[in-house]
Amino acid sequence: MTSAWSYRPQLLHLGLFFAAYVLGCGFAQALAIVPGTGISIWPPSGLFIATLILAPKQSWPWWVLVGCLGELFGNALWFHSPLPAAVLIYAGNALEAMVGAWLVNRTLGRPVRLETLREVLVFVVLGAGAAPVVSATVGSATLAWFGIFSQTFLGAWPLWWIGDATGVLIVAPLALVVIQNWKRKAELSAARWIEACAVGLILLGVAALSLGGYLPFAYIIMPPLLWAAVRFEFKGAAVTLALLALITAIFTISGASQFAGNAENQRHNQIMLQLFLAISAFSALVVAAISRQHQLALLTLSQSVEALRDRERELSQIVNMVPVHIRRLTPEGEPTFFNKRLVDFFGFDLQQLNRPGTSQLAANIETLVHPDDAPSLLQAVRHAVATGEPYSMKYRMRRADGVYRWVDGRAEPLRDEGGKILQWYAISIDIDDEVRAQEALRDRERELSQLVDALPVHIWSWTPAGKLAYVNKRSLEDLGLSKANFEDTVRVAQKLVHPEDAPEVLRASANCLKTGDAFMMRYRRRWKDGNYRWIEARAQPLRDQDGAIVHWYQVSIDIDDQVQAEEALKSSKRQLEQMIDAMPFNILSFTASGKMTYTSKRYLEDVGSPTADIKDFDALARDVAHPDDFPTMFQRASDGFATGQPFVNRFRRRNKQGVYRWIEARAQPLRDADGTIVQWYIASIDIEDEMRAQAALRERERFLWQLVETLPAMIDCAAPNGEPVYRSQQLREFLGYELEELDGKPKSRLNGTLDAGVHPDDVAGVKEQYAHCLTTGEPYLRKHRLRRFDGEYIWVETRAAPMRKDDGTIVQWNVICLDIDGEVRMQEELRLAQERLARASQAASLAELSASIAHEVNQPLAAIVANSHACYRWLSAEPVNVARAKITTERVIRDANSAAEVVGRIRALFKQSVENRTSLSLSGVIAEACNLVAGEALRRRIRIDSDVEGRLPPIAIDRIQIQQVLVNVMRNGMEAMEAVAGEKSLTVRAHCVGSEVQTEIGDRGNGIEFPDQIFEPFFTTKENGMGMGLAICRSIVEAHGGRLWAEKNEPHGARFIFTLPIVGKAAP
Amino acid sequence: MRIDQPLRTSAPLSRQQKNDASEPIVVIVDDDAAVREALSELILSAGLQPMSFASTREVLDADILDRPGCLILDVRMPGASGLHLQHHLAESGNAKPIIFLTGHGDIPMTVQAMKAGAVDFLTKPVRDQTLLDAVIAGIELDAARRANALVVRRNIERLETLTHREREILREVARGRLNKQIAFDLGISEVTVKLHRANVMRKMEAGSIGELIRAWETLPMTMREAGGAWV
Repeated sequence: MTSAWSYRPQLLHLGLFFAAYVLGCGFAQALAIVPGTGISIWPPSGLFIATLILAPKQSWPWWVLVGCLGELFGNALWFHSPLPAAVLIYAGNALEAMVGAWLVNRTLGRPVRLETLREVLVFVVLGAGAAPVVSATVGSATLAWFGIFSQTFLGAWPLWWIGDATGVLIVAPLALVVIQNWKRKAELSAARWIEACAVGLILLGVAALSLGGYLPFAYIIMPPLLWAAVRFEFKGAAVTLALLALITAIFTISGASQFAGNAENQRHNQIMLQLFLAISAFSALVVAAISRQHQLALLTLSQSVEALRDRERELSQIVNMVPVHIRRLTPEGEPTFFNKRLVDFFGFDLQQLNRPGTSQLAANIETLVHPDDAPSLLQAVRHAVATGEPYSMKYRMRRADGVYRWVDGRAEPLRDEGGKILQWYAISIDIDDEVRAQEALRDRERELSQLVDALPVHIWSWTPAGKLAYVNKRSLEDLGLSKANFEDTVRVAQKLVHPEDAPEVLRASANCLKTGDAFMMRYRRRWKDGNYRWIEARAQPLRDQDGAIVHWYQVSIDIDDQVQAEEALKSSKRQLEQMIDAMPFNILSFTASGKMTYTSKRYLEDVGSPTADIKDFDALARDVAHPDDFPTMFQRASDGFATGQPFVNRFRRRNKQGVYRWIEARAQPLRDADGTIVQWYIASIDIEDEMRAQAALRERERFLWQLVETLPAMIDCAAPNGEPVYRSQQLREFLGYELEELDGKPKSRLNGTLDAGVHPDDVAGVKEQYAHCLTTGEPYLRKHRLRRFDGEYIWVETRAAPMRKDDGTIVQWNVICLDIDGEVRMQEELRLAQERLARASQAASLAELSASIAHEVNQPLAAIVANSHACYRWLSAEPVNVARAKITTERVIRDANSAAEVVGRIRALFKQSVENRTSLSLSGVIAEACNLVAGEALRRRIRIDSDVEGRLPPIAIDRIQIQQVLVNVMRNGMEAMEAVAGEKSLTVRAHCVGSEVQTEIGDRGNGIEFPDQIFEPFFTTKENGMGMGLAICRSIVEAHGGRLWAEKNEPHGARFIFTLPIVGKAAP
Repeated sequence: MRIDQPLRTSAPLSRQQKNDASEPIVVIVDDDAAVREALSELILSAGLQPMSFASTREVLDADILDRPGCLILDVRMPGASGLHLQHHLAESGNAKPIIFLTGHGDIPMTVQAMKAGAVDFLTKPVRDQTLLDAVIAGIELDAARRANALVVRRNIERLETLTHREREILREVARGRLNKQIAFDLGISEVTVKLHRANVMRKMEAGSIGELIRAWETLPMTMREAGGAWV
């Protein structure tokens, strides 16, 4: 049950089946034209068989069940047979369907298509012929048994059988077509549709005419039916049969058909109708099957032809595309086919080769093969054709562009079963590149061989085992041996090597053979003349891809000359080195990049070997040069190296003992022909002693220089003509300009300096004296004012002395200029003090004099009084402070003394004592007095002309008193010129007159009004004068034993004259 | 008026040299070294501490003029004279007593010096007692000035603790106005005036109204005129 359930068809299908079955029952009932039989065409049998044929066997119970329901339903509607009879009749029908389906399926297998004649026949015989037997038997028996329509078995059976068979024939194909094509689309073209419609219409028309009685013969319907079967095959047949059955049924039922008739011939008509339909169906089906079979055969044929064409095209392509020239020849050797490659190669077709009168073979070969190869090829071909043996040959063929190319040609005969040659097939392959490559290879090999033989080296090759494999010609010539001599390799090699070198050579070569390392050695080899020559032998292994040694190649070069030359070079170098080492200086050489290349032996002895890390100039210099000298030295060396200019360096170098010594190093580059620097050579000489001497000299010079520069004096050096050439720093600073700044001006340096520097009042005198000294060569001495850089005039004392050569000519004037401004000013101050005193002594005002005296004396007195009081208090204190009292007393004494001194000084002014007289020359006193009044004279713009006799005898005088006289008189003279316009000059003259020295002081004033009265006390011509001056002066002079008087001066003014007696004549 | 320390008279002066800043020093300025020494000795013998300088410049540079004591100046000196120094000190507000000493003083010079506040003007040579009396007088004057300055400073400090209103009250009280009048003027009650007044008395540390008024009187005139408004 379960399996049956699981094979249940779809309910829709079952429903359709049920509906179709009931419809079929209805159709059968409608066609039951024979009354009382109820049997006519039975469409359900066709439907049932078609359904079961297509349905799986397992689902049959379902169809049987549904068919039973349909039949019973139809029975209830139309047939009204008793139920048992209906069931029995249905059982017969179902059995018929199952038997028919089983037989058809068994015979034809699934699926049933009804496309061949055999299939159609099987279907008609088994399905439509055999199967209805079952149904007819069962049905007829049932009718007979139940007496329905009072039928007999035999009377009902044929009708039944034909009705079922017709039903199968008409409905089963239709059902098959409908069920099988249910879901497929119609694949008909428009033309086919039109044709189908036309057939349909014709069929309908013919059927209508024939069945309608207009045409006497029902079978006239056959042509359109067969047309449909032929054109539309099984489907067309099925559909037209269905149509036919319908039309027939309609016409028969309506009675218009010839098959309708009265009751007598009803049975006959019934049979006729059934037969008509059965025959039509049979014919249509058979024709459809034949048509279908024919169509299939046509289709298969066309497919086969197409496949053959493809194969042929493929083959033809292969023949044309393979990169081989293919041709077919007749048994006689005439070409009948060239493949496309060959045609392309030649550039023309086979037909174009045809030449009348000649054998095509010979003509082809002549035209297409290289003249050198043509005869042999022709012969080979002819031989092959004659004997039937295949041939193979390499020859050149001419290509379309005229180039001959090497090909490899072969030909094989094709024979039939009897061994007779049918065809020759020949191919030729282009091997031109290979042939040419081989030729090139051969050429190369020949060249190489020539090269190897021509090279002036010995080339040998060895097997890995150490056997000699090859010897070049050169070796044989040089060594005077033939190849045969080399058979015994080791022995010959031994014989060739110098006995001294042989052991080492053998050892090294054995070692190389063992390890596979390259061999390199220099040794002596015996030449054919018996001499040994130096050679350099190198051997390298040649390895295959796995690294195994295939061969050893050895090359030996004659280096005898080179070795000889090296020897000579070495010896010459040794000599040179010895020479260099013998020289008393050190030599180093460096490459252009500064790498140290050579150090002379002497250098190594002096300086010591550089340490290992010192390899270039830089490092060496850092190591040995004194740190103080290094920067300069290195800078200069770097510049030299950079520019390629030779350079000289003086620096301290540390020697082996660690002592620094001065050296002079000179570097010179060596250049090659292009001017590129190849080497730098540096030669160094010890200059320590020289440097020491120089240093000492420099030190001395520096010392002197500093002396000159730092002396607290301004120093000047001048050329013999007086032009200054050097000025010390002090002088430069004083003047505020450099000597060079004077150059380029119209004035000479000397005049420039004097005009700019010397005070305008002094410049004339200075110039005069300079000129005098320069001409006479006398030393120069003068005090004058010099303008300082800030514009202030400073008193200086300038002294100059000439520096002379051995012969007395003046080389240089050395000038020293001392700043005496302080002194001069001090003198000035002193003088002012003295003047004050002198003025005081003039007693210009008694009150002032007394006040001055009082102040001078009062200070010490005040101190004395205060000290005395303090002393008293110390002494009266409790306890007595003796220590302080003592100090105080000492101060009292001191102050008292100082007061006494003041008093003494005042007294000395007027004291006419002789104690203070000293013997001295008046010229000095006069000079001093002139100096004292010089300042005042300057202020008053008065020139003092002094004319003092050079050698005045010394006289005993009180210097201060006489000075006071001089000053007094000179000042009087200056005051007298106060109001005078024009030149103001004071003349001071001193000269010996007999036993006296006479001194005259003359002025250019207005002269003296009262020459006699002026010497009286308290006589004065001045507003603020006391009139004491000249009186005191006269008393001083007279106290010295001299006289003082006044005279008129020429051209105007006054002249005071005093005389002083020479020593020994002084008054007591 | 209270003085914190009694003034020292000349007699019991200690003989020891005292270096502390409160010890009065006698500064002597004279260009004559002998005179300078002698005067120093005399001052020292009188038990006072002398300090001598050769010029007025040196005195100013030494920076000792803030110390108590007096100055003995020579009138005539090279550089700035004694009179010049006196003028300079007066200008910078230093009222140090000065005794002038001169060799020959004339009347106009004397008048000028005395007018400028010199303690004395003496001529050289000078009698010891005359000089010492002048010196003692100078020192006493200096001490009195300093003590007064101290009191004033203390009173100012106390005044600064007063509030604005209290200062107003103090000013009115010092003017002799009654509490009632003050209250009316300031628009406050009499009880409040009394309260302020009590605070003023306490803050000014015055025992009686008399002391309060004396303390008020010591204040600088500017401050008094400004009343309470100046702080």
